Amino acid sequence: MRRSFYLILVTTLAVAIVSGCATAPKKDYSAFRAADPHSILIVPVVNRSMDVNAPDYFLSTLTIPVAERGYYVFPVDMVKHLLENDGLADADLVHNADTMKLCSMVGSDSVLYVSIERWDAKYMVITTQVTVDFDYKLKDCKTGDVIWTEHKGMVYSPQQNQSSGNLIADLVVMAAAAAITKGAPNYMPMSQQVNAATFADPQTGGLPAGPYLPAYRKDYDQQTK
Amino acid sequence: MAKRSILLFAVCFLMFTLAQGCASGRKYAWGKYDTDLYYHYKKPQDREGHMERLKEIVDNAEAENRVPPGLYAEYGYCLYETGNIDEAVVYFEKEKVKWPESNVLMEKMVRNARRQQESLKRSSSTAPSQVQEEGK
Repeated sequence: MRRSFYLILVTTLAVAIVSGCATAPKKDYSAFRAADPHSILIVPVVNRSMDVNAPDYFLSTLTIPVAERGYYVFPVDMVKHLLENDGLADADLVHNADTMKLCSMVGSDSVLYVSIERWDAKYMVITTQVTVDFDYKLKDCKTGDVIWTEHKGMVYSPQQNQSSGNLIADLVVMAAAAAITKGAPNYMPMSQQVNAATFADPQTGGLPAGPYLPAYRKDYDQQTK
Repeated sequence: MAKRSILLFAVCFLMFTLAQGCASGRKYAWGKYDTDLYYHYKKPQDREGHMERLKEIVDNAEAENRVPPGLYAEYGYCLYETGNIDEAVVYFEKEKVKWPESNVLMEKMVRNARRQQESLKRSSSTAPSQVQEEGK
């Protein structure tokens, strides 16, 4: 009994590190419900980190977790090129442009704006600390209002996770270990994990199920209680 | 108390499994779309490789009848960019039929593609002004 409690504690802790699921606050989804978006336009990512490659790399991780929530997601690479051709090569320009104008360009219901707040690795004496941190905003095309927002990040430092004898905790270590290869951190697995945790479930602050999921409109009830 | 912690454990385990984003259990057949895009941004000069990989993903997804949103269009745009206009239009139309949400954008892309085709024909002026496709 004590052992299993310990197991639960370790697992919870491990998972909390990865996804921060234990502390997700309840959100108000009434604006989202009113907007009822069927399609999402993901525009190029704004970069507040020092890594010039971060926005393009991160853009590649966004489509799958959003589309898997049951929404139509516009082709991100094509949209990026179209915006560039329209003189909006800079993501900051896109984010500052009129939302409704962007919407009418492609006929979308909503626009997802993401900015990278952190994307860096600190090399210390005994360890490396890799940090990613993102800000997500979904705006409604009819009103231009923000209908959903999230802020999530992850800090990975190899020293923290090494000494667990637990299977699930070990999986976490394995997943996180992929983040660092030969001193050059690969941010992609971390980004994917953060995105997955961000969009996955309205119970933990994620996106409600979209029209292509069976749970569409059914998971609304639970979160407003 | 024990029940509660078991529940918590279950929820967190589920979250974790979701967070892993394993390929199984996905609604659509994405293949390695995200990795491919990543490589595309890392090595933009390898356009052909990107196109080939996209084609493979689209073909596989079509065979499974689980084509993800945006994939037809993404591949169509590659074709368009490389001047393969007729093929591009085929894929823009496929996206439009499969995903009605894409209607506005795909109509626009088809119009653009046709316009470009026209101007290419006019500028080469050797080809007779015979446009095969009338309407869709």
